Formats: sequence, C-alpha cells, structure tokens
Amino acid sequence: MECISHNDNEEKKECSTVEREGKEQEEILQLRQQNLELKAALEASEAENRAKTSFLSSMSHDIRTPMNAIMGMTSIGLSHIDEKSRVLDCLQKIKTASTHLMSLVNDVLDMSRISSGRMTLNEEEFSLADLIHDMTIIVRPQAAQKHQEFQMEIGQIYEEKLIGDPLHLRQILVNIIGNAVKYTQEKGLIQVSFSQHREKDPAKRDRQVWLDFCCKDNGIGMSEEFLKRIFIPFERVNNEKISRIEGTGLGMSIVKNLLDLMNGTITVESEEGRGSCFYVSIPFVAVTGDEEIYHLPEGQTVLLAESVDSRAEQIDAYLRERSLDIVHCKNGMDAVTWLTEAQYENRMPCALILGQELADMPALGLASHVRELAGKEFPILWVAEVDWAQMEYRAVRSGVDAFVPCPLFKTRLFSALSGLTGKEIKDKKDPVGNITDYGKYRILLVEDNELNREIAVELLSVTGVQVETAENGQQAVEAFENSEEGYYHLIFMDIQMPVMNGYEAAKRIRQLERADAKTIWMVAMTANAFVEDIRLARAAGMNEHCSKPVDMERMHEILRRRLRE
Amino acid sequence: MQPYQEEYIQNLKEMITLAERKMAAGCSFEEYQERLSEERQKKKEIAERNRNLLRENLFPLFDNLFDAKEEEMSGLEEFAKLLLDGKNELDGGLFCQIHQALLSRARLLKNQRDVIRELYWLGIGRFHMCNKMVGLDLAYTESYMSQMRLCFAEAAAYLKYYDEIEDTQTRGYILRSRANTALGHFKSASAKIRLTRQTLRIMNDKDYQEKEPNLPWDRYIFMTHQQMTSSISYNRENDMTSQDVADIMESAHIVYQRRIQEALSRKETLPIKSAFICDAIEYYCGLYSLDELLAKMELLMDQADTSDFSVESMYGILSLPAFYCQYLREYPEQLNGRQEYLEKLYERAVAYMEAFPEGEANEQIFLFLRQLSSTFLETENSISYGEFQQKLLLCFAPDIFVHGHVVGRTAAALCEVIMDEEPTFFDDIEHICQIQDAQEKRQKVIAYAMECGVFHDVGKVNFMSLFSHTGRQWFEEEYEMVHLHTVVGSSRLSACKSTQHYADAALGHHSWYDGSHGYPENYRRLESPYRQMVDVIGLVDWIDNRMNATWLYGGTERTYEEAVRDAIALEGKRFSPLLTARLRDKKVVEMLRDVFAEGRKEAYWTLYREQQ
Repeated sequence: MECISHNDNEEKKECSTVEREGKEQEEILQLRQQNLELKAALEASEAENRAKTSFLSSMSHDIRTPMNAIMGMTSIGLSHIDEKSRVLDCLQKIKTASTHLMSLVNDVLDMSRISSGRMTLNEEEFSLADLIHDMTIIVRPQAAQKHQEFQMEIGQIYEEKLIGDPLHLRQILVNIIGNAVKYTQEKGLIQVSFSQHREKDPAKRDRQVWLDFCCKDNGIGMSEEFLKRIFIPFERVNNEKISRIEGTGLGMSIVKNLLDLMNGTITVESEEGRGSCFYVSIPFVAVTGDEEIYHLPEGQTVLLAESVDSRAEQIDAYLRERSLDIVHCKNGMDAVTWLTEAQYENRMPCALILGQELADMPALGLASHVRELAGKEFPILWVAEVDWAQMEYRAVRSGVDAFVPCPLFKTRLFSALSGLTGKEIKDKKDPVGNITDYGKYRILLVEDNELNREIAVELLSVTGVQVETAENGQQAVEAFENSEEGYYHLIFMDIQMPVMNGYEAAKRIRQLERADAKTIWMVAMTANAFVEDIRLARAAGMNEHCSKPVDMERMHEILRRRLRE
Repeated sequence: MQPYQEEYIQNLKEMITLAERKMAAGCSFEEYQERLSEERQKKKEIAERNRNLLRENLFPLFDNLFDAKEEEMSGLEEFAKLLLDGKNELDGGLFCQIHQALLSRARLLKNQRDVIRELYWLGIGRFHMCNKMVGLDLAYTESYMSQMRLCFAEAAAYLKYYDEIEDTQTRGYILRSRANTALGHFKSASAKIRLTRQTLRIMNDKDYQEKEPNLPWDRYIFMTHQQMTSSISYNRENDMTSQDVADIMESAHIVYQRRIQEALSRKETLPIKSAFICDAIEYYCGLYSLDELLAKMELLMDQADTSDFSVESMYGILSLPAFYCQYLREYPEQLNGRQEYLEKLYERAVAYMEAFPEGEANEQIFLFLRQLSSTFLETENSISYGEFQQKLLLCFAPDIFVHGHVVGRTAAALCEVIMDEEPTFFDDIEHICQIQDAQEKRQKVIAYAMECGVFHDVGKVNFMSLFSHTGRQWFEEEYEMVHLHTVVGSSRLSACKSTQHYADAALGHHSWYDGSHGYPENYRRLESPYRQMVDVIGLVDWIDNRMNATWLYGGTERTYEEAVRDAIALEGKRFSPLLTARLRDKKVVEMLRDVFAEGRKEAYWTLYREQQ
C-alpha cells in the first residue's frame, strides 16, 4: 500500500493505524472467505458423502441382485448336474446375470473416468454402415425378446466414412435404444432413425457433417420433474411399473458426458404414459478422397421385388442416382410375369433385387423360381433385415447370389451389385458377393458322363478353381492316391458310374492311409433323390449331397463354404 | 411307355390294394397276424423293386438329362400322366420329379412350347402336394403354394405372345395356367378374386376365342366361375369389396344354373356342393341369417346317401359337415339346440368311414377327411376328437394306428419304471403335480403316457396317402413335408378340450434334447412344462420307427437291440440322459422289448376286431 505524507509523526501514526485497521479488515475478510470456503467444502464433502452413501447403497443393491442370482443358480445347477436341460437353464440365467453385472461395473468405471477427466476420445476412421449394423445386432434381439416392433429408418446420409470414436458412439446409441426397450412394454413400438445434415459454418462445411439420431418409443415415459434430473447420476424414473427393470441410473449421465466430450447435443421430449423421444446430434469429420469406384451397369434395368414402399423407394433412389432403371413389382407373381416377358423379348434386366417382403409369397420362394427361369448366371441380390448367418444356407440354396443387410446403405448396395454385374470383376465373383480368387485350390471332379463333366468343369472354372477330372471311381481313387498329401481340396463325386461307383470310391479313399484321406471334403453328385441315398452317401464317408442336374449356385456355395474354411 | 414304367405302375396299384385290404375277414387272429406278416413282406418287396426300377432306369436318365433322346423323354410324359392325371393320384411325388426334370431340359434346350407345358404340369403336381396341407396355417403352406403359383404365373405370362404361339395345345396350357394362378389359399381375398376376375375377362374375350376356336372355351369359362365361387369362405374375413361380392354372386349364379340344368336333364336333384355354394353366397350377401344358412346346410347334409360312395355323397357326409362345424366354431352361440344334430353328424361320418369299400380310398376322401379333422368340434355327448381320430386311423391308416398304440403302451411301461424310482419326475406338468396321492399320481402318469403315445402322430392324417400309398422310399421333399405332421397334430389336439394336454407330445416328439437338431422350430423344449413326457414319447417313437414304422419310406430298419444301442449313443444329444440311463438297465430293456411286442399284438387285435 502506498501513503502520501504531510506530517511525519502524525502522518506515521495515522498511517500505521490505517494500515493496522486495513490489515485487520483484510484478515477478517480472509477469515470470512475461508469460513465460506470451509463451509462450502464441508457441504460439498457432506454432499459427496451423501452421494457416496447413496451410490454405495444403490450399487450394493444392484450388485447383490445379479450376484444372488449367480450364486443361487450355481447351487441349483450343481444339485441337478446330471440333468443337462436344468443345468443349461441355470447357465443361461447365470450368463444373463453376469452380463448385467459386467455392464454395471463398466458403467461405474466409465463414470469414474469421466468425472476424473481421464476419459479421452479416439480419433479413428470408421464406417457408419458397419457401426449401425453392429448396433442393430445388439438391440434388435432385445426388442424381439419383448415382442416389440423395432423400426429403423435411414434418411439422407452424405458421408458413410467418418472420423471419430466409434466405440463410444456405439455406447451412446445402445444406451439410448436399450433404455427405450427397457422402458417400453411388451409389444410396444420403438422407432429409430439416422440421417445427416451439413455443417452450417462455410469454413468447415466441406469436411464436417452432423449425425442426427432419433429414438422414439411408446413406453412409460417420464414426468416433467424427472426430465430435469435425467442426466444426474443414479437417477431413475420412480415408477412402480419399472421396479423390476434393472439399471444403475448411470447410463444417461454417461451419454450426456460423452456427448459433451464429442461436442454433441441431446434433447429429450417425454410424456408420462405416452413415451419418450431422444434427439442426438454429433459432429463428425468426414473421410474424403477415399471414395470407392463401383462398376455399375449404368443405363440398364434392375428388377426390384419388394412390397414395403419405403424400402422400395430408398433402393429406387439409390439406383437412379447411378442411372439405373428400376422396374418395381410388389408381388412375386408380377415379378415372374415381367421376367418371362423380358426373357421372351430379349430385354432381361441386369439383376433382380429381392426385398424383405412380398405381398403374395416369401422372398426366397421367388428367388428359387427366378433362378430356374432366368438361369444360373442371372444375378439375384437379397436386401433384407435378417440374420444372414442363420439364413445363408437356405438363401444360397434358393439361388441368392449376394446379400445386403438392412438398414440399407448405398455403398453396400453398390458394392454388392457391382460385384455381381461389374464386367471387370464378374468372372471372379464369389457367390455371396465377395470377390475371391480360388486359383490356388484344386478340385477333383468325378463324373462318367462326358457332357455332364464338361458342364460341371465349365461351371466350376468360372470361379478360377483348378479342376481335374476322373471318369469313374477307380480313376478317382488312383488320382487321389497318386497325389501329394493336401493336393486336392475338394472332391465332387458322381454316384452311378461304370468300373467303380461313387460310394465305393469314397469308401476306398477314406480307407487310404494318409492324413488327408480322413479329412478331404467329398460331395456326392447324384440324381438319386431318395432320403436313403443321402444317408448312403454319408455312410460311404461323403460329407454332403448335391442333387443333379448340377446347380451352379449349390456348387459355388459349397466351394465358398469349404475353401474359405 | 417302357416296361419298367408299366411295372412301376402295376406295383403301385398292388401296394394300394394291399394297404386297403381288410385281411381279417373270415380268418382266425393267428391267421390274421400271419397275413399281416406276409403283407409286410410283400410291401417291402414292392417298395424295394420300385426303388430299384427308378434307380436303374429313371435316375440314370435324369443323370444324363441334357443328352437324352427325345423318345426317352416323351415316354416319361405318358408315365407321369399315369402317376397323376389331374384328378386321380397314384404318385404325386414322382410326378413332380419327372416334370421338374422335363422342365429343366426344356429350359436348357430353350424349347418354349415344352417349357409352357411342363410349367403347367409341374404346377398341377404341386397343387396336389399343397392339398395335403389342408387345415394348416398359411405360414406353413405359403412356400408350397407360391412354388405352385409361380409355375402357373410363368406359363400364363406367355399370354402376351398368344398371337405368336400358333399351337392350339400350348395356347390351351397358357389359358389353363392363367386360370390356375388363383388356385389355393391367399393372404387376402381380393388378390384371389382379382386374379379370377382377370381370367374371366380373358376367357370371355372374343379376340382370344376367335383366334383359337378349337379350345373348349365354354369349359374354361365355367371352371373359372367355379374357381370364383371357391372364394366365398373369405367373406368371413370381411376382406371383400362390393365388387368382389358381386362377382362371386354372378359366378355362383352361373354355376348354379348350369348344375340345375345338368341335374334336370338327368332327372336328378341339384348337387349338394352347388346348392351349398348358392346358399352360402346368399347368406354372405345378407339375404338371410347364419341360423337360416345352417338350417339349409342341415337339409343338404340330410340329403346325402350314406350307402353311396361317390364324390357327391362323400361331400355331403364328410366335407359339408366340416364347413358346418367351422361356422359353429366361429359362432359358438349357434351351437345351442344343434348339439344333438352335430353328434349325429359325427356318428354318421364314422359309420360311413367304417363302411367305406375296400380299395376305393383315394385323394378325394382323404381331402374331405382332412377337412373334417381340421374343424372338429367337441360337444358334451359327441364322440371325442381322440376317438374320432382313432376310428379314422383304423379305417384308412392302420399302420399309423398300430404305431401310436405301441408307442403309448411302451411309453406307459417306461413311465412306470421312472415313477418307481422318481415319483416327482413329471411334476413340472401341472395336472400331475396337483395330485397328492402317490398311487393316484402314478396311475395318472401311466395313463397320460399311454394317451400321449396314442395321439402323438395324429397329424399324419394329413399325409395318409404318403404313409399308405407310396410304393417306394420318400423323396427329400416328401420327407420334409411329412415333418409338418408335428404342427398339424399339435394344432388339432390343442383345439379340443379333451386332447389339449397331448398337444406338446405331438409337437415336440421329433425335437432333440439339446436343441441342436430336430423339428419343428416352434417347439422350445425348455419352455414346455410337458417336456419330460415329450422326451419319453420322442425316445419310444424313435425306437419303434427304427424297427417298424418308417422302414418302408425312410430306408432304416433296425433290430430292437440295434435301436436301443443307437439311442444310447445319442444320449445327451437327441435323448435325455435321464431316460437313456434306463436303457442301460438290462431288465428294463428286456421288459420294454416285451411291451413293444405285446403292444403291437394288442393293436393288431383291435384291427382284427374292427374288420370282423
């Protein structure tokens, strides 16, 4: 402090008094400030203690519930160890409880990372199509278990390849949709949509897009009062209807914190008893300069068979963007009528895109007929919301060449379609749309009829696989015996042959004392259609059965399955 | 036709005669058993012979389909015609195989005329296969129906090139295919009616008629009107427009007038079916009430001659009652005052089945019986659904009856063993768990096992011709179709109060214990409170099938010891280890062997008495 002097002593006295008073006042202020700070600290500490108590109480209850289930089910399982179905039942329940427990622990750890500022976001390239597909695989079965209708729509998507943190984005989406499933009654409706809008700031417009996500349900909804606290940790809707619904109450605060870190926004609309709607918007940097080139047969016609208008419109819009003409049929009979006329008039479309539903028959029913009608080379693409792993066998047997999962992204549609129709790559196409060169694999084709042999060699050669032939079982056994171990990767064996039939040849090959004799995959090719014939082929050591006349799709399906393995 | 084809047909006919022969007449029970044994041997020889005929002659031809000679292929057409001529079916499965092969060849050779013809006949073959699924939900039959319809749709598409195809026969196939696109069950009435309406427009088009005056246009048009009238049942679903109803009324009127004229010219009364269609459409148009329609139906049913076994009488005694029961099921209030009549209807149907002449059974009666089974309605004093099914099997499918009885007896014996060791074994079943008294519970379980065994295969009624008339092994498609007997059985048993506890045994007896294989998909073992009993039935059914029931059609025949050994090998996979553990006990195995034999003898005794 600086003082101006007019009388030294007086001035000194006055000065010292003022100084002292000033110091005292300052000290008082400091003390008051300290007191306030201490009080605030005390209150904060008490609040934290209360929160910790509440947290511990909530957590111990939430942890105990699945732990009790795990322990109880383990005891029951042990006491019924000989009864497989009971043990299986217990194990399934243990799995459910431990999955829940794991998610609980993960939530707590995430929350802890976020509050301590240790949560960082990754910056990596990811495909929005893959991410949404993966997320659908998680949430769709949850909704199916409660017999809820789960609808998903994809709106305008400008950029499919983005840079961001896919793991945490998935966490946000799964959390919100998971809540919708949890808090919606059986047979309820959950509608999810994705779209993008361009960044308004001209400086960032070229590289940045906003992902808009909306999740709407007709579940129990939330009160206005609760809506104010929805993002506070451990808050859950106080409603007797949900007393049995498990959860920590951390999910939405994690979502909010993650969105803050991503510079995203979230808004919620809800009405008790009517349902809720969450809107999320997140900025992402788009990956540029990496566009894939698809060889689509521009100017040609594609036949689209789909009864759901919204899906048909989406496919139609994507294909028209690439100058393809679309003929749309809503039912299978119209599709077959149109194709028959097209074949007669020599104006066949370049492919059939088969949708999820037809008005008059199952989609795969149409596929198998079109395969017969249009021939083995005609591309059939299936765009549907099904679990491909479960449907693959049936679909490929019905004549489907490639599959595109829904929700539909145009890059996937273009990729599959160009894989089937693109001239440059058509010769190497794999039956399910992936381009694969089978050049390194060798097949032994055993067939006595010359014409059949020629046809089969031609069909197999399309894939690039090396085909060697034998005219009867004896020749086949000799060829196999004289080859090096592992030389052949697959044997297609006719049954009715002179000198030695297929059953005998298969038996002899299996009896050879070399390692690959036990493992070589053998496929019986026969027109004998009795169930016993299939059984006899198996008994002779053959692995599967392929009926005649030879079906290229079936052969390709076997190649793809066996050679990939 | 080639000699092997003639022999095949002859063998098939012999097989059908054998299946329907009532061998008990005029002989002792011992002689009867001996005859059964001879019959079994004969059937085995026929099936084996027919299988070899196809293996040695037909399949090699299929094998070399693309370079087969024309005359070889044309002989096939004639052969196929004898297997199924559009009405009478000897072997629908082989008929489809042949026409599928002919179609593939025609496509390869790009012979349009043949493609159209083969599409038509393959469609007809598939239609007959679809008919075996009467009473099943569309969800199960849709894929079969669509395969049939697409054949007709493709052939019908050539109508656009009618002028260019100058062959009368091919034009006929195109038009008939066009009409047949409306065959079978549809998701919506409007779709079926729209198709039929379009067909009628085409058939009535003078331009088409003048270009091909040699075709039987009058017959085509009349049959399309008949097709239109078959849509009346959709009216119950309130899915029709006023135009739809008007079109059906118009067709019903035309069919009715024609039938009246035909009847008058023969000095006969109007056929029951035509009269019913007319009454029904008038009811749907609000001209009179359901009560009045039911009364009219009663009059028509009363007209049917129970001593006549023509299609007309069969319709009045078996098929029309099925429609009658369907109305009563949908509108139970109409049952008041009609119970007694209904009870008599069933009595009459059973008496008719029992009096049915030997060797006359055909697809038509099987179809009517399927209809009657699928709409069965139990009343307080009526024959129960279970009894009705037993009568039906005794008359038309004795092998299925015997198998059911054997499975029931053996399952009951196995349950006795289980209950002695573990009295609470079946306590997941509510009506068993409720019983406090141990002895009473034991008896209840044994009786329940017996009934489950007896009823577990009632769904096979839908596929009677496949079980009794197939003179060869089944094809893969037939084998898959027969899988539906689980779903049919379950849906029929669960619809009747007296049999609903047996529905899970029918549904789940081909499922696997570990869920890895088996059928149908909608049986979920862990969710079924009846699963322990279903497991028992599944095991016993499997052993008996290995030894007896499906030896003819599935190509597996094992001794009892082999079957037991195979079952143990499938422990924990196909069969519950709690059950196969009992098969490790020699005493139990010996005891079950005796019960299998006794059960079979008892079933034969029942058959013997019935045929006396």
